[in-house]
Amino acid sequence: MNDSSRPVLEARDVSKSVDGPEGRLDILDGVNLHVMPGESFAIVGASGSGKTTLLGLLAGLDTPDRGSIILDGHALHQLDEEARAELRRRLVGFVFQSFHLLGALTAEENVMLPLELEGSSAARSRAREALDAVGLSARRRHYPAQLSGGEQQRVAIARAFVHGPRVLFADEPTGNLDQRTGHHISDLLFALNRDHRTTLVLVTHDAALAARCDRRIELEEGRVVSAATGVPA
Amino acid sequence: MNLLRLSLRNLRREWHLPELRTLAASLVLAVVALGVVATLASRIERGMLASAAELIGGDIGVSAPQALPATFADQAHRDGLQLTRTASFPSVAFAHERTQLLDVQAVDAAYPLRGTLELHDRDGRALPGHAPAAGEVYLDHRALVALGLAVGDRLQLGGRTLAIAAELVRQPDGGELLALAPRALMNLADAEQVGLLGRGSRARHRLLLAGAPEAVRAWRDWAEAAELPSGAQLITPEQTQERMRNAFDRAGSFLRLTALLSALLAGIAIALSAQRYARRKTAEVALLRALGTSRPRVLGLLLGTLGALAVPAAALGIALALGLAQLAWLLASQLFGNVPTSLPWAPAFAAAAMGIAVLVGFALPPLARLAEVPPVAVFRQSLSRRVRRFDALYLIPALVALALIWGQSGSLQLAGILAGSLLGVTVLAALLAGALLWLARRIAPGAHPALRLGLAALARRPALSVIQATALSLGLCALLLLAVVAPALLQGWRQELPADTPNWFALNLQSDQRAGFSQSLARIGADQLNMLPLAVGKLTAINGQPIDQLQFADPRAKEWTDRQLRLSWSAALPPANEVVAGHWHGAAPDRPEVSIDTMWRDMFGLKVGDTMRFDVGEGSLEARVGSIRKVDWSSFRVNFFLLLDPAHAGTLPHTWLASFHLPSGHAAELAQLSREYGNLSLVDVDSLLDRVREIIDRVGSAVRWILGFSLLAGILVLAAALAASAAERRHEAALLRTLGALRAQLRLAAACEFALLGLVAGLTAALGAAGAGWWLGRAVFHIEGFVPPAWPLVASAAAAAGVVMLLGLAGTRRVSRTPPMRLLREG
Repeated sequence: MNDSSRPVLEARDVSKSVDGPEGRLDILDGVNLHVMPGESFAIVGASGSGKTTLLGLLAGLDTPDRGSIILDGHALHQLDEEARAELRRRLVGFVFQSFHLLGALTAEENVMLPLELEGSSAARSRAREALDAVGLSARRRHYPAQLSGGEQQRVAIARAFVHGPRVLFADEPTGNLDQRTGHHISDLLFALNRDHRTTLVLVTHDAALAARCDRRIELEEGRVVSAATGVPA
Repeated sequence: MNLLRLSLRNLRREWHLPELRTLAASLVLAVVALGVVATLASRIERGMLASAAELIGGDIGVSAPQALPATFADQAHRDGLQLTRTASFPSVAFAHERTQLLDVQAVDAAYPLRGTLELHDRDGRALPGHAPAAGEVYLDHRALVALGLAVGDRLQLGGRTLAIAAELVRQPDGGELLALAPRALMNLADAEQVGLLGRGSRARHRLLLAGAPEAVRAWRDWAEAAELPSGAQLITPEQTQERMRNAFDRAGSFLRLTALLSALLAGIAIALSAQRYARRKTAEVALLRALGTSRPRVLGLLLGTLGALAVPAAALGIALALGLAQLAWLLASQLFGNVPTSLPWAPAFAAAAMGIAVLVGFALPPLARLAEVPPVAVFRQSLSRRVRRFDALYLIPALVALALIWGQSGSLQLAGILAGSLLGVTVLAALLAGALLWLARRIAPGAHPALRLGLAALARRPALSVIQATALSLGLCALLLLAVVAPALLQGWRQELPADTPNWFALNLQSDQRAGFSQSLARIGADQLNMLPLAVGKLTAINGQPIDQLQFADPRAKEWTDRQLRLSWSAALPPANEVVAGHWHGAAPDRPEVSIDTMWRDMFGLKVGDTMRFDVGEGSLEARVGSIRKVDWSSFRVNFFLLLDPAHAGTLPHTWLASFHLPSGHAAELAQLSREYGNLSLVDVDSLLDRVREIIDRVGSAVRWILGFSLLAGILVLAAALAASAAERRHEAALLRTLGALRAQLRLAAACEFALLGLVAGLTAALGAAGAGWWLGRAVFHIEGFVPPAWPLVASAAAAAGVVMLLGLAGTRRVSRTPPMRLLREG
């Protein structure tokens, strides 16, 4: 499925709604998009516009009510949760706004997690390489509480890249960091995106970060209202 | 809206919260554990008193060396009690040129008020058990054999000819196990008519009473306040059952403390749940405060909710406690025959009060601190708690625990020792559990990923893990002690006795029968024959002063001076005896000497050098206390409180007491021997031991499951800890699911986590139980080289691991289903 002329991620007419106290509420309505291999892609929009829901659907964390999502040739909407989990393990990496590292595991052990879940026998050495790549090999035995916010996000990035995912999803990756650190983190993300040819899909409020992506879409009330090509960093 | 309605509404809304359910379950468990044990203990005590009443022949009585004043009977009539009079005295019976000293009891028609008379006719058939009519007498087997008579014959007693109407098989107040003389039961009016009870007789008069418990109590209060005639004493069931009572008191204390352990473990579950509840409510309380609710009202609302939860939970606990106690009583009631006893209600209600004390004591600190959340915390959560170096409120649970231990043990000193021991055991268990967890973490890097994830989960919450492991191990340890270690100890103790320990006693052997009896025994394969002289007498003076002119502080002293004493003599210090003061007299001291047991020293305030005078038959002996001995009464050997020197005591009238070992399977030969020596009483020690073992087994099976409460309490702590960590667990599960973990992988990691927790708790409990067993074996049972049973303990630890794993998996079942989207929603 590594055909570079075909999208690695595609959403066709995706809709999602939830039942609220005042009836049905449409969160996403007929969203179409495609992301090419190695591309960086930003989803922007105001709070409540449906960005996070769309990211969750694209990453296979949830299923749409209508429409289809194709990830690396797999129709996610046709798979059950266990099959999607298996697919996520192989194809997907995540970076979150709140880092989401496990506090009782060292930096190295946190990075090892995705490799351990797939049963890799070289988890430790590969985790060290990944930490080395984000410049944290000296801190591999530290626990999250002993690391700064920026360092924690770098560990999270190492964890996201360590198993060589096809697509990396990032949800407000710089949202909890100061501007300078945020800038370093986004540099790191784009460098890894470039070096590993990993597709990068990120959700952000940060216009500057979105502008560094190859393409971006803007959501408003669950619909794509604009699409643009970014300025390469 | 008033606070009560608000609290009830609050409880209805929040009842779905696991921490509130755990709080309620913990209270129910604490009440049930305390209530069942207290109710059962109260019933067993009543049962023992009732069966003691059977032994006395009435619910209460008074005995005196002369006829009792009419006021005692009059008061009994006023209290609506039934009464019977008896008198017992030694008297010589004559028949066909033979004479025999009999232990005679004369009774009126109402005898017995409690228990039954067992009588046989000439052919061994049962007869209705009523008191002998005028002109009749009942004789026991020994008396019939000694006089060469059978039922239907006649004899002379006190100058009157009486018809033997029945063989006396068993009677209430059946005397001591080792009755000294053959027994006869005659009519009281006959005894009075022939002058057997007149002035100068050696009769002991008794008035026995029976009736409703309140009436008995009223009479008892009256009698205790009234002045008893000289030499008179009350006969109470408590005295009769003193030995069994002591044993039960000890067992009861152990059970009560185990129930208390369950209640305190439930207290830990309550504390964990209350903490979790307080954390969850912080934002809400901050908002209430910001909207203008006063601090006392917030605290009132929180305590009101707790009260609304406590009342139905305590009521449920009381109902369950009474139901379970009733069930256990049905299982254990055979111990006391068909003694009717009603279900006591008070202990279960007292248990509910104690349970509520635990709930309030353990839940109050976090709730009181919650009420102090400042309104500004609506903006910044970090302002919700004041950081304190020391929070005195958290002393409340410790004080509640101490008060309960004090209440259950009945002594401040004992409470201090127990609380200290409990704290010590807890700290030890916590250290051990902590060390095992640390060790597991050390070996983690090379372990299977699921095991590593499980270990990481334990390490993520180190305090909670140690609390869980400690609580589980304490509960399990109590269970292992009774279920595994205690039977092994008893077995070991029995095996300690050499196989050829004498298992039969023969009483009343005459001097001229000794040689023939020895030969007969040798013929049927008995060995280890040992014969000791046995004289029966009374203590009449100490240091030259007549005994009835002396006053003793110890109430037992009076009892012993009234009764016939068994005296023996020996040149050598018997085994299982140790001289603690003075010197053993040897074979022939210059003047008569007696060696006394430490109990006699304490009762009479005796010391080496004092003198004691004994009247034996027509003879008398004044002996100097030459030594004081400590006797191991558990040695199953023949032992005496009073041992004289053989040179001076040998001339006293005496019979012989033989002990020997006879392997089982010789019943027929022994029955033949019993017929040949009709005057002998044979006592089967093996069957006595069997009876003791049977009682231990029955009590054990009835109460063992009570200890299950402590384990249940440990499991509740586990549940509370699971509830406390549920949010964290769901977050972790969401992360792992996002990273692609399959449900099976999450379940395997959880299985590893809980199996490890169970294994740590099980190993800690097994080590604790083995240590306690080892100590008990050495210090209490004196078993050389007792090794606690290793395999059952190891198996129990493994079983604990399995059970905790299953419970943990059940408790976290929903966690593995956490949707991964949750993580994105959390940010």
